[in-house]
Amino acid sequence: MLSAPSMANTAVLVNEFGEVGLDHHLLVRADEKTVLLEHGCVCCTTREDLVGALLELLDEEDKGRIPPLDRVVVETTGLADPAPILFTVFSHPVLQHHYHVDRVISTVDAVNGELHLDRNPESTKQAAAADVVVLTKTDIAKIEAIHALRARLRSINPSARVIEAPLGEVEPEELFSPAANWSPTSSHGDPNLDANESAPAPETLAAGDARHVSHTHSTSLTFDGPVDWTAFGTWFSMLLHARGEDVLRVKGLVDVGEAGPVLLNGVQHVVHPPEHLGEWPDEDRRSRIIFITRGIRSEELLASLEAFRGIVGAGPRLLEANAPV
Amino acid sequence: MCILCGEFVTRIHWTEKHAEDKARASVDAGAKDESRRNRRRERIRRAAITSEVLRHYGLKISDWSGTKYALRDGKGRSELVQDLGSLWPAAQKLTGRPLDPLDPALHDALANGG
Repeated sequence: MLSAPSMANTAVLVNEFGEVGLDHHLLVRADEKTVLLEHGCVCCTTREDLVGALLELLDEEDKGRIPPLDRVVVETTGLADPAPILFTVFSHPVLQHHYHVDRVISTVDAVNGELHLDRNPESTKQAAAADVVVLTKTDIAKIEAIHALRARLRSINPSARVIEAPLGEVEPEELFSPAANWSPTSSHGDPNLDANESAPAPETLAAGDARHVSHTHSTSLTFDGPVDWTAFGTWFSMLLHARGEDVLRVKGLVDVGEAGPVLLNGVQHVVHPPEHLGEWPDEDRRSRIIFITRGIRSEELLASLEAFRGIVGAGPRLLEANAPV
Repeated sequence: MCILCGEFVTRIHWTEKHAEDKARASVDAGAKDESRRNRRRERIRRAAITSEVLRHYGLKISDWSGTKYALRDGKGRSELVQDLGSLWPAAQKLTGRPLDPLDPALHDALANGG
């Protein structure tokens, strides 16, 4: 993929060289080195290795030693936590002005993916944090297993776009294409997921299923009117303070009574700088937010937002809920 | 750099990003003044809104010179915080109670006017 013309001005930071072609001129090795901030939680740690590598790329570009960069791909180890990577870019005094986090891509092995999701909390976190999920080994996995895995991933993260990479092949254009508009009532741009394969309804999933190590809930909601963005900030920052480690992902568009919505995107305590869009991306002008949580039930979120109705200016309406997966 | 305390502020909290970006993007003097006034108004509103929630815990905050927020309790204790990110841990420390928006007791208090 690195040899594709569209990847020409892409730098790749890797933890493990593996089978990647070493002749790629923009391939940099960055061994994981995390610095836990004083009183910091696990997600709010700085990846010093990443800081060093990204600063070095800026320096190389500035000196004309490498062509101007369009994109940097950070390839992590299989067990990496995405939150510290986002935190590092958002919080570093230099990096935050030179880099924009475009998307999180997670790969899921179609043969062993269910097993990883059952046994490793990190795998669920990675799936929850993803904007794009790439299914690998789909060429050797059984079709039923692929369908079941797709449904499982949709239950964990309905907002992620899922694409397949048989024989490890995937088109860069497909991987890096602009994000499809997410709608909680659609199959999320996933042509292979028909109604019969959609996520199991909440009542079909046994609560506290011991097979799974994490009890992940996803809650899609809207509001019955425009939201006071300042007040929403009070509620959401308080939620992240109290339960941030269990808020695996928040993503959505918030109607704040202006011409366009606010794009909200967060992973645990780490929130992307919210973007106030000039216009809505489609005809649907309602707020739509998805919360992927661990141990926080949809009813709890709805009750909280209902209690804050007088402050936030609008009340919540449930669109869809899946739990637990 | 904060001109009052000399603290080097490198990170704008996400709740304040929009107003800060607008204030910084203003070019002519008139627009700069208007952005500054808007930013200040929003800080005062944020403090008022957040104080509605904090009332349940016997706390309140107010804008402090447009650069920080002053958090106070009923016993006269106070603490300066940079933004909402640092407010909640400071508030929890002052009250000694967890501050959780999912807490039904807070919901009842809000239903009864704080």
